[in-house]
Amino acid sequence: MNLPLLAARNVLRNKVRTGLTVLGVAVALLAFMTLRTVLSAWTQAEEFSQKDRMAVRSKISWVVLLPKKYVQEVKDMAGVQAVTWANWFGGRDPKHKQEFFANLAVDPESALQVYDEFIVSAEQKQAWVGDRQGAIVGDVLARKMGWKLGSKVTLTGGVYPFDMEFNISAIYTATRRGADRNQFMFHWAYLNEKLSSERQNRVGWLIVRTKPGVVSAEMSKRIDDHFKSSGMPTLSQSELELNRSFLAAFTAILTAINVVSIVILAIMALILGNTIAMGVRERTGEYGVLRAIGFLPRHVLAFIVGESLVVGIMGGGLALLLGYPLINMGMGRWLEENMGGLFPVFGITTATATAAMVLAVVLAAIAAAWPAWRASQLKVVDALRRVG
Amino acid sequence: MSDAQAEGKAADEAAKNPPPYRTQPESPAIVSLVGVGKTFFRGKEPVKVLDGLDLDVPEGSFEALMGPSGSGKSTLLNLIAGLDRPTRGKITVAGTDLTNASDRTLAKWRSQNIGFIFQAYNLMPVLTALQNVELPLLLTSLGGAERKKRAQTALRVVGLEDRMHHYPRQLSGGQEQRVAIARAIVNDPKIIVADEPTGDLDRQSADDILTLLEKLNKELKKTIFMVTHDPAASERASVQRRLDKGRLK
Repeated sequence: MNLPLLAARNVLRNKVRTGLTVLGVAVALLAFMTLRTVLSAWTQAEEFSQKDRMAVRSKISWVVLLPKKYVQEVKDMAGVQAVTWANWFGGRDPKHKQEFFANLAVDPESALQVYDEFIVSAEQKQAWVGDRQGAIVGDVLARKMGWKLGSKVTLTGGVYPFDMEFNISAIYTATRRGADRNQFMFHWAYLNEKLSSERQNRVGWLIVRTKPGVVSAEMSKRIDDHFKSSGMPTLSQSELELNRSFLAAFTAILTAINVVSIVILAIMALILGNTIAMGVRERTGEYGVLRAIGFLPRHVLAFIVGESLVVGIMGGGLALLLGYPLINMGMGRWLEENMGGLFPVFGITTATATAAMVLAVVLAAIAAAWPAWRASQLKVVDALRRVG
Repeated sequence: MSDAQAEGKAADEAAKNPPPYRTQPESPAIVSLVGVGKTFFRGKEPVKVLDGLDLDVPEGSFEALMGPSGSGKSTLLNLIAGLDRPTRGKITVAGTDLTNASDRTLAKWRSQNIGFIFQAYNLMPVLTALQNVELPLLLTSLGGAERKKRAQTALRVVGLEDRMHHYPRQLSGGQEQRVAIARAIVNDPKIIVADEPTGDLDRQSADDILTLLEKLNKELKKTIFMVTHDPAASERASVQRRLDKGRLK
């Protein structure tokens, strides 16, 4: 027998209470880890940006279209390896009205050149390129919508006032996590021919792939300077900047998540503190006996803080035990597949797990500090009066 | 009046008015209280519990202290055991002046010199009998094996070697008090203080505990200072004292 064992034994004195407290701590830490994982996954989207890719759009807004001739002009610039373009169709499948997915009119050849992380077999690629009504879809979207190669799909126009019919001619997957496997892409030419002559030959944005060694900031400036005096000036951003500006729009949400995670920890500390305080109140007499037989105030303090630490560590351990299967395997997989753009990698990071355990220990110590200090400062004779 | 005449007169007086309780011959005092007073405050109002109390407890004696509730018995016991300090006067126990000793000094002194027996046993419910007895030894530098050995010996002295792995809830009241006694003697203290040690026990168990205390006093030469309400328990001590309104009578 030793002093730490005595502290640990006290934890198991009221198994139901301890069990519920450990569960409470675990649930609070689980919520904390989930929120921190949302934050880290969200900000990780930045890390998954392609360093050599940039978007060029109208300086006014995303919804203002650019003349198609810009594609060739950019392609002719020094430092540019490839250029593709896209228009947002904004259509919905009438059979799955609740499902939102990106559907874009693109140039097939150049799109696959610029987005080289998409994997599609040569056969299917050929089928898509060769079919004007052909569409390529991500494997996750295809699975979700129940589409197979050869499926006929009609999308009801959102941005454009007409419906379009497509043949699913290719299904892509991706070489890396974080690539959006929920997209629907079809021939830009097919969309263009459906438009009135005054709306034709306009593109939503350009996606530029730069040559190795080109600094994206310099390239952006060069492109924007080139179109500065034209009737339609541009705003070029690297994929990283684009993701950052996207995240900036959600600053309030991220701050709210941060605040909530802190509030959850405060609640956890209160739950733990209440349990420890109850235990201390019930056992004041015992602490009096220990003090009578020679134990010092610091021993009493250590017993109580030690007890709280054991509960905190048990709660933290349980949270990690539950967290990995729930967050990494369950929620994480679903989010990566369905919201890969926002959450390219959704899983508890080592930093989050470590933070959760460290916070469990630190908050357990803080929660026990006041009741432990009070118990240790109690006069022996006063503590003994509470015996029985 | 000559000295011889004076002695004779005192002897006559003593014969006419014998002390109400038995006393035993004087031997070196292990507990010495001189002019001890203790005053508590109830709000701002002072409550004098002990008032100019003088007491010598000879080494190796078994003393019982009786008195009505509120007479100051537990306060006196706490002072002797080094759990509290007097408001005035001087207390010397086992050769140490406790009057102005620091909390830390008192704690260490108690762990080496005092064995406690409480009315409600006060065993740790999460520890076995053996572990409960081992508890005071955790404050020593003894190794685990030696601590265990001494705890087993103490349990053997109280006749509970066959219950050492039982938890308090698995023991009777009398057995629990025996474990408490084993805990009180495991560090070989000079003095055992017992606060109503038989108060929660039936007659038979109380007799057994008192017999055990007598044995500790006679065979192990422990000085025992016991507070009790029970006249039968008091009768088992070699010295009886009565405290009333803060004064020994």
